[in-house]
Amino acid sequence: MRESQRLEAGGDNKQRSGVRVEKEVLNVLDEVLLLKGRGAGFARATPLLGALPELDSMAVLSLITTLEERFGFAIYDDEMDGSVFATLGSLTDFVAAKLGPAVT
Amino acid sequence: MQAVQAFFLSAAGGQRLCLLHPPPAGHAVRGGVVYIHPFAEELNRSRRMAAQQARAFAQAGYAVLQIDLDGCGDSAGEFGEARWASWVADGVLARQYLADHLNCAPHALWLWGLRAGCLLAAAVAREDPDTPAKLLFWQPVLSGHQHLNQFLRLKIATDLVKGHRGGGTAELVQQLAAGQVVEVGGYTVAPALAHGLALADLEALSPASRVVCLEVSGSGGQSVSPALEAQLARWQAAGCQATGHAIEGPLFWQLAESEACPALVAASLDAIRGAAA
Repeated sequence: MRESQRLEAGGDNKQRSGVRVEKEVLNVLDEVLLLKGRGAGFARATPLLGALPELDSMAVLSLITTLEERFGFAIYDDEMDGSVFATLGSLTDFVAAKLGPAVT
Repeated sequence: MQAVQAFFLSAAGGQRLCLLHPPPAGHAVRGGVVYIHPFAEELNRSRRMAAQQARAFAQAGYAVLQIDLDGCGDSAGEFGEARWASWVADGVLARQYLADHLNCAPHALWLWGLRAGCLLAAAVAREDPDTPAKLLFWQPVLSGHQHLNQFLRLKIATDLVKGHRGGGTAELVQQLAAGQVVEVGGYTVAPALAHGLALADLEALSPASRVVCLEVSGSGGQSVSPALEAQLARWQAAGCQATGHAIEGPLFWQLAESEACPALVAASLDAIRGAAA
């Protein structure tokens, strides 16, 4: 994914912001899916969709809505793709790209 | 505790299942509460919390009536044929039944709603435009239009979980506009239901109505959402006595594994006791 390459190849600021976004995405996951702290053991490569039984269609919708409210952006229909929710890393990259390069 | 009484009320187009939770035998009846459930899958996911709250109210001396709306739960009719207007009529019917049962005026009862059930409760309250109502709102849906859009997005989420890409919500909106039913997440929705929901809001309550809103968040926020703040300000400007409270707990109406939220039960008891005192 283009955005993830950009993030990972970025400087210290971008990496730091990536870590912060990941933490915030984990908080949202924890809240929506009621992981009760299990999220603390998640890494970028941790699979989400298809791997977490809690992540059913209602939970995906709730996740999308909560991300929109928490980060203040709109997620459009054509952006909702399975690949976005594949791993914690892909979801974090998606959110970071929505936030844009201004967020450091 | 008195056993819950299950019975059917006759309504237009068929029978509605009702559950009446009476206060314990010998306990003075302090008031009554009519519960209006949320929309589609949120009804199923919130059943346990609603039952828990109903028992807590009954134990505290408040008779609670729960009604399965037209085409929902164990009531007659098909969800796919239900109309918004028939749901409002069911709410009015339930309130009148409990008022007759307790020998009080309908507006003396609390209307307790969850999510889209709050929109219906507001519509029921507006049936008596000159009488202040008492409303307890759990996680109120503030805009029926937004709620419908989020429901339609469930189709995309369902497709996504199944591993294929759907057509988006634009197609569904067009189908509804053309007078066709839509299928989302296992629910068939008729245009008359979608249009009624899309137009529903929480405005135009009688002045001096009492509105208590409880908003649940997993992050344990100290304040209610900005959108609810704005709604509270609109009610207050219209002369209502409206308050909002943030409660920490699970988003139980969305979770497949039902989770309890004891803080919500306690705050709800405080709300109706406080107002009764």
